Amino acid sequence: MGRKQVRPPRALPPVPSAIQDDIPLSRPKKKKPRTKTTLASASLEGLVQTAVHRPSEGSELPTKDPREHPEAPVQRRQKKTRPPLELETASTQKKASSASLLRNENGLSVEPAEDPVIQKPRRKTKKTQPAELQYADELGVEDEDIITDEQNSPEQQSVFTAPTGVSQPVGKVFVEKSRRFQAADRSELIKTTENIDVSMDVKPSWTTRDVALSVHRAFRMIGLFSHGFLAGCAVWNVVVIYVLAGDRLSDLPNLLQQYKTLAYPFQSLLYLLLALSTVSAFDRIDLAKTSVAIRNFLALDPTALASFLYFTALTLSLSQQMTSDRIHLYTPSSVNGSLWAEGIEEQVLQPWIVVNLVVAVLVGLSWLFLSSRPGMDLSEELMFSSDVEEYPDKDKGIKPLHNANSPSE
Amino acid sequence: MLQTSNYSLVLSLQFLLLSYDLFVNSFSELLRMAPVIQLVLFIIQDIAVLFNIIIIFLMFFNTFVFQAGLVNLLFRKFKGTIILTAVYFALSISLHVWVMNLRWKNSKRFVWTDGLQTLFVFQRLAAVLYCYFYKRTAVRLGDPRFYQDSLWLRKEFMQVRR
Repeated sequence: MGRKQVRPPRALPPVPSAIQDDIPLSRPKKKKPRTKTTLASASLEGLVQTAVHRPSEGSELPTKDPREHPEAPVQRRQKKTRPPLELETASTQKKASSASLLRNENGLSVEPAEDPVIQKPRRKTKKTQPAELQYADELGVEDEDIITDEQNSPEQQSVFTAPTGVSQPVGKVFVEKSRRFQAADRSELIKTTENIDVSMDVKPSWTTRDVALSVHRAFRMIGLFSHGFLAGCAVWNVVVIYVLAGDRLSDLPNLLQQYKTLAYPFQSLLYLLLALSTVSAFDRIDLAKTSVAIRNFLALDPTALASFLYFTALTLSLSQQMTSDRIHLYTPSSVNGSLWAEGIEEQVLQPWIVVNLVVAVLVGLSWLFLSSRPGMDLSEELMFSSDVEEYPDKDKGIKPLHNANSPSE
Repeated sequence: MLQTSNYSLVLSLQFLLLSYDLFVNSFSELLRMAPVIQLVLFIIQDIAVLFNIIIIFLMFFNTFVFQAGLVNLLFRKFKGTIILTAVYFALSISLHVWVMNLRWKNSKRFVWTDGLQTLFVFQRLAAVLYCYFYKRTAVRLGDPRFYQDSLWLRKEFMQVRR
């Protein structure tokens, strides 16, 4: 309890977790001098108050006395002496200080008996909280922060002396948030520090990762649908072609006549479904991780095989675009400007029918392969699984450097 | 840190543009009653791809990795997407120009040549790959690890400095 009467105003601490290893509150030491001070100032009838309150983080505040209203605005605040124990928060500090300063200058007195009475219950509630917490040391009050002044000699009490006097622990702590210091309740801060271990498990309900995961799963569902739909469509298409072509492809003009309205729409639909299915199959084997994909393919993994078959089917199907357009624009050879010369039908249609058949077989096989392991999704495993064990560290925010996992591509 | 609502919005926009791209790739050949229709569809499709490129780069700029100065790292990780998108964009524009050139006078004409067919196949295959890689990257960028400090990032940083 050193007497540091002429101490420059201290800057606010840069971070809330500045380590102060002293006992948070030292009540018995403080109490005595404070009552003395107030009594002394009472005896001086408030002419000049020696107990100057500094707006540091270590001062406790009683509620503001409603009787102590400022009578006129005063600009000089921090450097002047003023009566103690009027401050509550950062914002009210200024008001209170101006109020008290004014009182000093005008020679008004405060009611000295009131302050200790108000403060007692506050302190008691204070002390119980930090005592049971380990973190309390960091947020507590240093002994030397509390300045008391027992000496009330008149020569020190000039109006222009530097601030001296008693300071007490205050319920506020100043935390730097977005480049501004904001008053935060000390007990609240201690509580949050204490509860980190508990709240660590309570994650924010909906993170970007969850969004990504849900989108990924939604797309996988669409893909699952398109696998089956595509297989069915392709088989149906082949059946229709063979039925229309007649026995041993003997009725090709009939096929062209009947199928020409269907050819291009079906080609478009086939591309759409093939694209969806291929992307979905690539998702399942996580094609972007080439090494994993190739290893799976060489191991004849059904999903990897299905991806390959889908891609082949897509290429084959696309290669028939020209023929499809030709069928789409079919006019009998007798018509002027027809694309279909006499006898050319079989030559053009034969490979087209075969390719359609192959595509149907490929997508059918792919569907079978995929449906044998419908739950397999390497993308999800590789992309999202490594996040899981990292989350506790991340949410704690204290040691975010635990995990060296690199986010995948 | 990336906000969930913002990310959802961006992701839906990206998926919308991807869906439009897929739709035009699938059905543009059907919608050729007039050449203007195809022209408009193609122009919007190319703009959509361009928008998607811009969006993915904006997302890159928003990551902590980028802001830490590890641009190379980010581009190395997503070089597949970037290259494929660029290739697809070039293929799309060339195919569109070629097709519109041939069909401008008469959209019902049979215009296919071997060259056009080849370009068509490559463009459509690139479209599928683009769709896959772009979708993957967009989903991937939702990973919170890209938006915060980590030991992984520091290691990378040390490697770069060496």
